[in-house]
Amino acid sequence: MSAGKLPADRADPLQHARSPNRTFGPQPPGAQFEVVGKRSRKVDAAGKATGEARYTDDLALPGMLHGKTLRSPHPHARIKRIDTAKAEALPGVLGVVTGAEMPVRFGVIPWTQDETALAVDKVRFIGDPVAAVAAVDEETAQAALRLIEVDYELLTPLFDPAEALARKDVVIHEGNKHGNVTKEVLLEFGDPDGALARSDFVVEDDYEFHGTAHAPIETHVALARYGSDGVLTLWSATQIPHYVHRELARVLDLPAPQIRVIQPHLGGAFGGKSDPFSLEFCAAKLAIKTRRPVKFLYTREEEFYAHRGRHPMQMRFKTGMTKDGRLTAVDSKILIDGGAYSSFGLVTTYYSGQLLTGPHDLPNYRFHSTRVFTNKPPCGPKRGHGSVQPRFALEVQLDRLAEKAGLDPIEVRRRNFQGAYTTTVNGQRVTSNGFDQCLAQVEAASGWKARRGKLGRGKGLGCAGSMYISGTNYCVYPNDMPQAGIQIKVDRSGLVTVFSGASDIGQGSNTVVATIVAEELGLRLEDVRVVAADSDLCPVDLGAYSSRITFMVGNAAIHAARKLRKLVQQAVAEEWGVAPERVALAGGFAFDLEERARVVSSAKAFHLAEAKFETLGATGSYNTPNLGGDYRGGTIGASPAYSFTACVAEVDVDLETGEVRVPHVWTSHDCGRALNPVLVEGQIEGSAYMGFGEVFLESHAVNQYGLTTRPNLLDYTIPTALDCPEFHASIVESLDPEGPYGAKEAGEGPLHPTIPAIANAIHDACGIWLTKLPFTPAKVLAALQAKAKADAASGGTRGGASGGASGGALGGDQGGKR
Amino acid sequence: MLRLEPFAFAKPQTTDEALALLARHGAKAKLIAGGTDLLPNLKHGLYEPEVVIALSDLAELRGVAVNGAGELEIGAMTTLEEVERAALVRARAPGLAQAAAAVAGPTQRTMGTLGGNVCLDTRCVWINQSHFWRQSLGFCLKKDGTVCHVVKGGKSCVAAASNDTATLLVALRARLTIRSAAATREVAIADFYKADGAMNLRLAPDELLTRITVPAPAPQGTWSGYAKLRPRASIDFPRLSVGVAWTTQQDGTFADATVVVSAIAATPRVIAGIGELLRGRRPDDLAALLAAGEKARSVVTPLTNIDGDPQWRRAMVPVFVKRSFLAGARGGA
Amino acid sequence: MTAETRILRLHVNGSDVDVAAPSHWTLLEVVRYRLGLTGTKQGCDKGDCGACTLLVDGRARLSCITLAGDAVGHRVTTIEGLVTKDGLDLLQRTFDEAGALQCGFCQPGMIVAARACLDAKPEATRAEVKEALASNLCRCTGYTKIFEAVEQAVRAGRAAHTNGPASLVGDSAALAGGRR
Repeated sequence: MSAGKLPADRADPLQHARSPNRTFGPQPPGAQFEVVGKRSRKVDAAGKATGEARYTDDLALPGMLHGKTLRSPHPHARIKRIDTAKAEALPGVLGVVTGAEMPVRFGVIPWTQDETALAVDKVRFIGDPVAAVAAVDEETAQAALRLIEVDYELLTPLFDPAEALARKDVVIHEGNKHGNVTKEVLLEFGDPDGALARSDFVVEDDYEFHGTAHAPIETHVALARYGSDGVLTLWSATQIPHYVHRELARVLDLPAPQIRVIQPHLGGAFGGKSDPFSLEFCAAKLAIKTRRPVKFLYTREEEFYAHRGRHPMQMRFKTGMTKDGRLTAVDSKILIDGGAYSSFGLVTTYYSGQLLTGPHDLPNYRFHSTRVFTNKPPCGPKRGHGSVQPRFALEVQLDRLAEKAGLDPIEVRRRNFQGAYTTTVNGQRVTSNGFDQCLAQVEAASGWKARRGKLGRGKGLGCAGSMYISGTNYCVYPNDMPQAGIQIKVDRSGLVTVFSGASDIGQGSNTVVATIVAEELGLRLEDVRVVAADSDLCPVDLGAYSSRITFMVGNAAIHAARKLRKLVQQAVAEEWGVAPERVALAGGFAFDLEERARVVSSAKAFHLAEAKFETLGATGSYNTPNLGGDYRGGTIGASPAYSFTACVAEVDVDLETGEVRVPHVWTSHDCGRALNPVLVEGQIEGSAYMGFGEVFLESHAVNQYGLTTRPNLLDYTIPTALDCPEFHASIVESLDPEGPYGAKEAGEGPLHPTIPAIANAIHDACGIWLTKLPFTPAKVLAALQAKAKADAASGGTRGGASGGASGGALGGDQGGKR
Repeated sequence: MLRLEPFAFAKPQTTDEALALLARHGAKAKLIAGGTDLLPNLKHGLYEPEVVIALSDLAELRGVAVNGAGELEIGAMTTLEEVERAALVRARAPGLAQAAAAVAGPTQRTMGTLGGNVCLDTRCVWINQSHFWRQSLGFCLKKDGTVCHVVKGGKSCVAAASNDTATLLVALRARLTIRSAAATREVAIADFYKADGAMNLRLAPDELLTRITVPAPAPQGTWSGYAKLRPRASIDFPRLSVGVAWTTQQDGTFADATVVVSAIAATPRVIAGIGELLRGRRPDDLAALLAAGEKARSVVTPLTNIDGDPQWRRAMVPVFVKRSFLAGARGGA
Repeated sequence: MTAETRILRLHVNGSDVDVAAPSHWTLLEVVRYRLGLTGTKQGCDKGDCGACTLLVDGRARLSCITLAGDAVGHRVTTIEGLVTKDGLDLLQRTFDEAGALQCGFCQPGMIVAARACLDAKPEATRAEVKEALASNLCRCTGYTKIFEAVEQAVRAGRAAHTNGPASLVGDSAALAGGRR
């Protein structure tokens, strides 16, 4: 389909919506935007700056006990016996719990529930929770753990995914139908084999993406209270309170109405708090058992065991291109190292293929992804879930092909731009698409044309592009209810309180909700307060994952606020005896558009409406249209809107050491409308930062014994203020027809291209293709030396001889520095 | 949260009081200066003291001065930040200022002291972990165990000296003043360390390091420089630590030179034969500096006791020897 | 051995306070769990992340690896102590205005470290700010807006110095409006 043209069958992209009357669109409610698009401060920032903001560990209750978790020292073992008698007898210990008391399996994805709160019969990685203690203080709880006796029968551990795939004699999850395979997906679109055969250029390489961790500065923490009214309240550092609520009810066998889940301020998540975790069940169970509040605060080391970080992937990619730079086909085979449990792995497996079909027009495509269990901390969703890894492979291959075709890498991406309002080869509906503008922005900002090739020895520029979802219409548990909900209450003071199910994990969703409601009701931002993520008070939202909140909760907020707006306009209009269309709401006032002197405060307008319509309030919700390809898994990765990103990175390679400095990263992101540009920039900068850390510094792995090698923030090196590039964020607003005022996601997409842009810049700088992350200086130096050797053997710097592919680098079929 | 195991706490007001406490508690006591090394190690259960004796109130152990012999005298409780910024240090031993500035991050340097860094415990990827972690692999030679995970079948601990300033102080032939309630002694810093990663200090349980004396006769009488290999520009311990010191002849060529390489084994290693190799060559002769570096590389063997590819770390030795000389020639911290 | 509890006389945020705490407790544990000053955060357990940074005698200090007993006789200032009857510290306001606060968890430590930096160097350059904050890890921002916030405070401080205290909010005039 051609770029930028609305196809006939998609003339009204909302025609598929389940509630077709909710045409929000990009337009402002009034004549122009009053709140949206302004560089306003976050609604919760002041409290964070002063230390007033309460995070979960900042809460304390009278009589509160402290919990600690006993963990498995073995990577794979059967539990023969657990004896907790001595621990229970220790003075100061009030409760001990083991897996036998909570045998119900849980998991976010209903068909892959394979975790228990504490190990029941087996442990599957070093750090797997085995028992938990509640005591008067942490020191006593810690001492009690040492008194718990556990007899283990050791089993063969599997750390290598290829071995886990091959071995039939060692099974990590008995009862799993396919040995150690947790999910296998093979999908083919078009004719990839034929297209590759017909391509002018084909590259086929192996890529590796290593494991990386979220490392939020706040570790997991949960506080439970079991009241005399039989209500269990759980405060938890979670980004999915609704799923925690559901799973608590199942595992504890407690009626869901007796459970209240509250997410206080959250100290970072990045996907790492998207599963229910052992401590939430243990705190709750021990609170019930002891009738005392119980808090668990994970140590940093425990946070690394709980993990669910980025999946390591081994990826074989084959990509074809025509002489004029058009992408012909991609054929990928991916082995995914899942770790010990399923977590979101079913989705990861699909995302490793489904999210690659833009922003480049990809006419033929096959992906074959297999996720296997290993005896390591489980992997799951991390910012850019499932698609950061294959995006690295694809974008590097695009540059390899561009080189073969003799084309500029940005020009190649421009020629392959899929355009707006199109359908991808795997059946995904793409609406607005500003990727071409993103490319133009980073090209200009980085001085690409003038500077590339002229930076000097060891210096270079590289680019990459990507797409990401704004939520998905795949609902993890099947139901027909809305995916997001908002409730609004009006006070006679003029204050509007918005009850939002969304989890503000620092990304600013409370500010987004307040911004939208203020815009719709003509209020100032400070006249709107948001109460969020409390299951007793707020409507259900599915959680802070898949970059869904701005799009889905934002639309729910518009939906609710517009209902209320209508009532207010009508009441004021009747009071003035004019048509409701003449009543405008803005800036804390209602006024007559035709007689500007006629004006009342918002509070007064609310009084009129309350007098006329009874107590004011409104609800709103959002559900996705029916989307996705008509095949099994076709809805996974199908999103109501996609964001797009382009990135240029500049590198400076130390040819003596292999260390790479990255002075600048320019990232341009199409987020539809920027509801608050400061928040969007923050997401772009933070994403680029996280990608940068993954390239060079961060690696989550286990040693030969299965022990996590770097389970602390000294060894797991996340970038400091002195390590980071200057991040230059810019915004493209392509205005999505269904997003709230045209908005799409900004929190995850911008991470993707950072990694391949750096890889491509390193090639530009010194002629080496690095294919195995992380790019440690040892690997870079080995590749430089292999290239020098190959160049020498071929008698020139533009040698074509293939050097050894040592250290995760490809042999030199490429020339040296231009 | 990772909690400390219980201990008693004492904060003596004078050095004599501290020494009396040490005499009484001996091996059951641990001294705390800045705490940036001790506290993490305590949290990991590497020591189990009954009493922790804080030196923070001992103002008499703090400060930088020049003695009658023209040597720098630095109190052991002088913070790394103070060492880094002291005009006397920057003028007479700029390499020491560079090494102090390279320790950890800025906040750690406002806390950590020169004496504490000199006495820093050795480090290894198999030891600087929690009790649970170490227990999961059956502990190791350095504490609670009988096997070495770095050297198969190894019988002596190879945990690595990881103190940036020690590397440079060895190169500068510094001397340490060590006191106990009974006696005061002075020792050459090179003799203070022994090749045992389990305990690399020749320091009795009742002894306290009080002063570091650096022979630095006059500004630029001795040149010195420091270079550190680490993954991040802050916070990290060295993956390779190189300190150099040299004197020049009238014509500006080397008269004598010392190269010390650390973050390899339990002690900072003085590379033999550098003086002979460099005498008569110019300090900006890169080939000469690299030759000195090659000599260092030929005698050191990085192990897996420290994170990072050992082969690559070895290959970096000549580069960082060269960079140490260049840093020294450039001066400044 | 069993814990030995002592009464410590601490000087926190301008007031003397007597607090009973075990001898092995860190300053972080005492300010958070005894004094209820929960603005100072725990992130890494052992001095690797800077979330627990507070000021002792005006200098940045990692409270998770400082024994509480070691703080006796010194002035302790936590993030809460930067708020006075005159309002928020300039840095608390510029961090807000610059959008430096995402999850906010590292920021109390970051803000007090920045305060120590500017007290020592009111005209700190970006390079000096980066150096001063290099013991404090932030996982959300990529530091960009943190640097901008500190630079904004430098400019506001300069304006105040030139024009007198009345212009303290000059550079960040927008701060004076809004929700404060």
